[in-house]
Amino acid sequence: MNSNKRLLFRLILAALLIPSAAWSKLRVVTTTTDLKWLTEQVGGERVAVESLSSGDQDLHFVEPRPSMALKLKQADVIIKIGLDQDMWADSLIAAARNAKIVYGATGYVDTSVGIERLQIPTSKVDAAMGDIHVFGNPHYWLDPANSAVISKNILDGLTRNSPKDAEVFAENQKRFLAALDAKLKEWDKKAAPLKGLKLVTYHNSWVYFAKRFNMELFGNIEPKPGLPPSPAHLGRLISAMKEGEARVIMAESFYPLKGPKMVAEKTGAKLIVVASSVGGLPEVKTYFDVFEQVLSRLLEGREP
Amino acid sequence: MRSFSVFFIGAWVGLMGAASAQEPASAPEFSTGRMEAAAPPPGMRGKPINLPDISVIGVLAGHLSDEESDRTKERFEFEEVETAFQGFLYPEMRADVFLALHKHGSEYEAEICEAKATFLHLAEGLSASVGKLHVDFGKLNKAHTHHRPMIDQPQAITNFLGHHGLVGQGGVASYLLPLPFYVQADAAFWRVPGEAEEDEYSLDDETFTGKLKTSFAPGSKSEFELGGSFASGYGAHNEFERDRAKVYGADLTFKAWPSSYERWTFQNEYFRLVRKGVAGRLYRDGLYSFLNYRVNKYWDVGGRFDYAEGAFPEQSIERSYSAMGGYHFTETTRAMVQYKHRRVDGISINEGWLQLAFGIGPHSHELE
Repeated sequence: MNSNKRLLFRLILAALLIPSAAWSKLRVVTTTTDLKWLTEQVGGERVAVESLSSGDQDLHFVEPRPSMALKLKQADVIIKIGLDQDMWADSLIAAARNAKIVYGATGYVDTSVGIERLQIPTSKVDAAMGDIHVFGNPHYWLDPANSAVISKNILDGLTRNSPKDAEVFAENQKRFLAALDAKLKEWDKKAAPLKGLKLVTYHNSWVYFAKRFNMELFGNIEPKPGLPPSPAHLGRLISAMKEGEARVIMAESFYPLKGPKMVAEKTGAKLIVVASSVGGLPEVKTYFDVFEQVLSRLLEGREP
Repeated sequence: MRSFSVFFIGAWVGLMGAASAQEPASAPEFSTGRMEAAAPPPGMRGKPINLPDISVIGVLAGHLSDEESDRTKERFEFEEVETAFQGFLYPEMRADVFLALHKHGSEYEAEICEAKATFLHLAEGLSASVGKLHVDFGKLNKAHTHHRPMIDQPQAITNFLGHHGLVGQGGVASYLLPLPFYVQADAAFWRVPGEAEEDEYSLDDETFTGKLKTSFAPGSKSEFELGGSFASGYGAHNEFERDRAKVYGADLTFKAWPSSYERWTFQNEYFRLVRKGVAGRLYRDGLYSFLNYRVNKYWDVGGRFDYAEGAFPEQSIERSYSAMGGYHFTETTRAMVQYKHRRVDGISINEGWLQLAFGIGPHSHELE
């Protein structure tokens, strides 16, 4: 066999082996980049993970596309935030016609199971209140301690679908929990000066975060969840911020900044723009980075 | 007409005023707690009283026209009220029933807009629906009027598929092909209640349809969708003219999302009608080209060009240019205005619409 033939033979062999190696991994699709990162921590080398949304998208506003349905058709597992935050994925799951990932199947993972939910409506809910989620506030991943529960749900989901890798997944999750534990201690120290900080946020998305780090949610730029800021509401907010001495406004990178900038100018408050998910800003590459950058910017923001 | 135009403008200003005046309403009361299981998807929320998802869509519309014979002009009234009942019948079987009251002339008529049972997973990649359905022909025919990004219907669809589009009783099988890219094939058989009024044309009676659609994502923030559709049946006037009819369709859509809320949509559909009757073959063409820009979470603007030949032996040609804009209060509630300049066989007509479409309750449509 001359060298050209040998090269050709190796190329064909590689072409045959590479796809089989890729297919031997558990194919996981997540609705968010945070869940993708967390699934990669638990699944390690045994999983191939794709996210349907990017970190710079408003998760309430992701538009289902046929290419997303294709990803779900090829998936073994779908991992969702749940609590109606990623309802757009339901039409995609139906369009994918993949029995492995429908609601109730072994490949359907909702990471909100077991989370201590906040703001569960107990009275009648309608559109006059804005976009209220009937199962409670769905932004629970913004309390980093909740990632212990999220990773447990992911571990259970991956194990159900690939029992032969159960030990590897369990070991990976244990390693993740140890890293999380260290980070939580570090962040508690870092956030200590922020205790009692009066925080104005664009959307009602930081309630878990504020509870975790003992901050006070003073108000929102949106008059009600999902509604655009009206001049009347912003006027009331400006007066309240001046009176209540709220000096930090925080907005996710995807929100329009015209309203927050105007409020910051009128009140002298500092406006900080943050990523609430992996990839929301170029420097936020991991789930841990989300909290590193938010806490750092809040510390900068509270300085006079 | 002038006073109605003033009313039109006043109504639009009022709607926009309502959109910007958000005074505090009663705040919801909250508690905390843990989920024991995953939150069920829409259609599975009947617990504990086992009700389906129930919703109501209302479409209130006004129409201005300088065409003297237009019977629908200078009205502002409910055009349609649709009630939907949606839920699962079995783990992979669901039902969607849409009942509607439509305005036809001066009367409201009740009808089953759609009522279907869907088998979501008959085999790997295969699903099927049976019942009365808006046929998945091209891009717009399947969408209910309140779900379309425009108020009126492109003229080519009206001329070749009927005022209500192609709607039939029958069944469709859809297969997502096992390929590394998205390709879906549909094959269907319908009985179509034809629109046999003198000035209307549609398919009628036994009709076969097929569709092939594919999609490519050139980047993470853009998508191309391509489709080819086919329908074969009788013309609605076949009792008199004994014609067989075929409609061919091709569609191309490009969407791009420059930011979280901005979106460009460039959607195009071409139709060809072939009628074969005693007098021989007749070929008619029609198309529309639609460009839409979603400026932010709430506003979108667009324009459309239509070209449509009439379906009848007398040659008739219509060209029209439309401009439209909408404000989206929520996913199911919007206000839209549209202006259209038509030129039909050399005669110019100007038209305008104002529409408020609202939704109460959980209302969903499958991926379109």
